[in-house]
Amino acid sequence: MTATTLGPGKAASAPADPDGPVGLHDRVASVAAVAAEHAQRHDRDATFPVEALAELRRTGLLGLLVPTRDGGLGGAVKDMVEASTVLGRTDLSTAMIFAMHCQQVATVVRYAHGPLRAELLPQIAAGQRYLASVTTETGKGGHLLSSQSPLGTEGGDLLVDRFAPVVTGGRHADGYLITVQSPQPDSEHQVSLVYARRDQLTVERHGRWQPLGMRASDSGALRLTGRVPPHQTVGAHGSFATMAKELFAPMAHLGWSACWLGTSAGALSRVLKLLRSPQGRNRTDLGSDLLLTRLAETRQRLDAVHALLQRAQRVVAAGGDLSLPRVQLLLNTLKVTASEDCHQAVQILIDALGMRHGYLGDSPTGLERALRDLRSASLNYSNDRLRLADGRLALLDPEVRFG
Amino acid sequence: MDPRFTDLLTPFLKFLGDREITADSPLRELGLDSMQAIEVLFALEETFDMTLPDDDMNDATFATAGSLWAAVSAARADQHPAANETASAA
Repeated sequence: MTATTLGPGKAASAPADPDGPVGLHDRVASVAAVAAEHAQRHDRDATFPVEALAELRRTGLLGLLVPTRDGGLGGAVKDMVEASTVLGRTDLSTAMIFAMHCQQVATVVRYAHGPLRAELLPQIAAGQRYLASVTTETGKGGHLLSSQSPLGTEGGDLLVDRFAPVVTGGRHADGYLITVQSPQPDSEHQVSLVYARRDQLTVERHGRWQPLGMRASDSGALRLTGRVPPHQTVGAHGSFATMAKELFAPMAHLGWSACWLGTSAGALSRVLKLLRSPQGRNRTDLGSDLLLTRLAETRQRLDAVHALLQRAQRVVAAGGDLSLPRVQLLLNTLKVTASEDCHQAVQILIDALGMRHGYLGDSPTGLERALRDLRSASLNYSNDRLRLADGRLALLDPEVRFG
Repeated sequence: MDPRFTDLLTPFLKFLGDREITADSPLRELGLDSMQAIEVLFALEETFDMTLPDDDMNDATFATAGSLWAAVSAARADQHPAANETASAA
């Protein structure tokens, strides 16, 4: 059997390579290059990075987390984290689209069974299925563990009628993982996860996507209506709360934090290259205490987020019980810290560089777009909600042990 | 070592005195501190038209004049292979 160097993985049952999938670096670099070429235009026009998505399909990266026996690249969580960070350096919208797709794929890999799994995984691996996540609802925001959207049933089929105010990349997805109330629920806390192909749904756009940052993610409101067969339920009805704790939320926090770290690292790297260039050296006093301490503080925040991300990624990869308070606290702390410190790091760089290279959109430092994009990080599953959860979790861990 | 390299280095080594810079000259002991190391780096990059790789930014590279010159030479050869050929052909 021959293996392709770029494209979907070989259909073999080889164990996951500890060094990651073959050619991962080149595949990711190739997507980053395409994203970079079009990023400015998509940011200006608030349009989806269709070229980068096409490259994600072509390079097999949509199937990064699909096992090799299903045709995927057989990548691990650390590979998703690494790829997201690299993409985030260039374009946070593309990185988030990729990371959130990976979160959906990981969920399908772990919880989908039978014909759904058998059909969907090879399609994802072949680059034919870009999956969007539909979890937000009017009134409850992004809260994962409840749903006010009922799931109808008719003749054994499931009837989806779901409005979602924010769906990252939703208008461009080939399929959706949708949270809904379980059929005949006792409360809104009985939530199910349903997969629907785009051709099984009517996808209506509501309003325009005209945000401050993350403009290319095209995350506008959608109404999804349609009918899907019952086997397209992912996991058992009502089991989404468990899935969210065990995998869905941890993957989101790891993926998002990796993307944000990448964006702030890319910003710092471009700033340092500018400062170190011959023109930069002539224009700037590199011995300035103010400049040096600002560079130090930026770097300090990125190293702290990086350390937290690596630690959390290892805890998730180790496969232990992620529902333990100390582990939930670690994962929430990662998200809250990454969202605040990566944003703050760029703020500091803007003060360090001043108006021309800090604030203007055409500076090669790209700080202006990085700041706008990173501003959404604290809102993306609100830090306020996570802090409330963390306060309750802290009370459950009086010994104060660390995850 | 290229004389341009030792000339460039000399003003940064305030404890060198009348001695000549040799491959074994210990840069830190001769007065090169961390801020000056950055200035030396920039001067080297300009004079020799190369960039030292990030992985060379360690104590071993900046230990002696010889170790620093070895890193500069390697970076030059890496980044200007054609220029070296032209130079030797001329």
